Amino acid sequence: MQGFALYPFDPPGDVAALRTDLRGWLAMNQPQDDVVARANCWASFDPDFSRALGAAGYVGMTLPAQYGGGDHHPLERYVVIEELLAAGAPVGAHWIADRQTGPLILRYGSEEQRERYLPGIAKGELYACIGLSEPGAGSDLAAVRTIARETTEGWRINGQKIWTTGAHFSHIMLALVRTEEGSERNAGLSQLLIDLDTPGITIRPIIDMAGHHDFNEVFFDDVLVPHGALVGTRGQGWKQVTAELGLERSGPERYLSSHALLAALVDAAGPDPDPAVAGLIGELTAEMWTLRQLSMSTAAKLAAGEDPMVEASVVKELGNAFEQDMPRRVQAIVDCAWDGDTDLAKLLRALLIASPSFSLRGGTREVIRGIIARGLGLR
Amino acid sequence: MLCDTARAVFAEASATGMTPIEEAGFDLLLVSEDQGGFGGDWGDVDAVLQIAGVAVPELPVAEFIVNEALLAAATVSLMAGAMAQAFALSIDHVNTRQQFGRPLGKFQAVQQSLAVMACEVRAVDAAAAALAARLDAVGRDPLAADFEIAAAKLRANRAVGVVTAIAHQVHGAIGFTGEYDLHRVTIPLMRWRSAQGNDAHWAQILGRQVGGFGGRGLWEAMAARGA
Repeated sequence: MQGFALYPFDPPGDVAALRTDLRGWLAMNQPQDDVVARANCWASFDPDFSRALGAAGYVGMTLPAQYGGGDHHPLERYVVIEELLAAGAPVGAHWIADRQTGPLILRYGSEEQRERYLPGIAKGELYACIGLSEPGAGSDLAAVRTIARETTEGWRINGQKIWTTGAHFSHIMLALVRTEEGSERNAGLSQLLIDLDTPGITIRPIIDMAGHHDFNEVFFDDVLVPHGALVGTRGQGWKQVTAELGLERSGPERYLSSHALLAALVDAAGPDPDPAVAGLIGELTAEMWTLRQLSMSTAAKLAAGEDPMVEASVVKELGNAFEQDMPRRVQAIVDCAWDGDTDLAKLLRALLIASPSFSLRGGTREVIRGIIARGLGLR
Repeated sequence: MLCDTARAVFAEASATGMTPIEEAGFDLLLVSEDQGGFGGDWGDVDAVLQIAGVAVPELPVAEFIVNEALLAAATVSLMAGAMAQAFALSIDHVNTRQQFGRPLGKFQAVQQSLAVMACEVRAVDAAAAALAARLDAVGRDPLAADFEIAAAKLRANRAVGVVTAIAHQVHGAIGFTGEYDLHRVTIPLMRWRSAQGNDAHWAQILGRQVGGFGGRGLWEAMAARGA
């Protein structure tokens, strides 16, 4: 842990103006969603909003202008994401394409792939999902069995993905598949960019315990995609995916997903809060402030071209614990009917039910702690 | 270089008391150069006090360098240093100590505990660094950094329970002996949790301040105070 000092978060340009402009834009353009939709808003699908946000220049911000992007610094994008999440804006439709798939196509994709996909992503019109988990490959991602055989016509894909968030509204999937028959574990894997309207693909919903349709099963039955669907280097899929996960683990969503609940708690408590509630607000605020510092430092490191795998995992671990604990601690202190119709009651119920997933998606708590332990040299 | 000096001076002071620290002039760390001082910033204070937190936790080094109004902030740095040391001792121990034919660090249960500890240590280090940046940005005015002082001390306090518990747990019986060095940092950590405001003290102050901000105001205040 030596030499772990904070990396300076120093975006170019006028950050205060960037925040003010975006807040002004949101005041005019953000739909008046239900308070529950404003929590966990990176799962709220609203293609009209995504398109408007793209037209305003707030999607694909870091992509080069030649592909329709904004040529902005990654830390300017970070500031914009903070504001969108704090406002509870419905960013779910373009979320994965903007956060992961766009940057990955830019980094590893062919020129043809960049020209084909990046402009749509930057417009907030082209949505992506990530094909990683399979029935036999959950935490053990290297057990992926979906196979893509190279033929003269292209790649022929057979297999199944599961827990695929947003597959039902996405246009493309970036899938981790086995391209070398008989290969084992993390060797012989590659990333393919698959248009989801290709014949042979079946997408079936999985309804979660809250009654929502976020994730899906995706079946590949002799699906043929062109040779040009390969992203990056054949056989280097594991390395590429690992780099991608750093983007997933450390962003502002790690401390702002449940922010609506903290804000509602503060509003319900009023300017002169009861001591027990004041104490809880104080503790949650201290945690959130600290997490924000860690996340900004990790983002700055990523922006500088480093690969802060362990730091990103620390942010995810602490962030998940914070967001999972928050509704439980609020419930323990605030007297609030389970089926009450105040903002606080509705948010509390929704987040209590959603919270088990926080330490599962994007790598379970145990896997994340294992990554940290490896970074400490213990594994 | 400042850190090397601090290490050498504190090593001497651990045997003889405050005199070497006084003679080295650490009270001039924050005094500007044109007034005969070192012209250091709070980042320097943080670095020096992190070393003091390990080497001379029983000596009033923080009181010697900073004024009363900034002692809570200084205590965060002492705590960050002591936690980093408890962590380093723990990593060293689990890599060395063998049971069931392998080092303790090879057991998943131990790895998971140390990952939890690493997160807490990292969080307190980040809190100390962010507090330092804020203090330097506002000319070390404790009122202008009241939010950050409260948040950082509260976060450090909350980490003490986890960090001391895991450090002792992975050490086993040897860590509970007077001979072994772990208590030289864990007992001071327990003391510093009470010193300069315990958890409840800062949670009330911060919670009431945030109550004044309001729900939306909390985010606006946090965003305005850094980046």
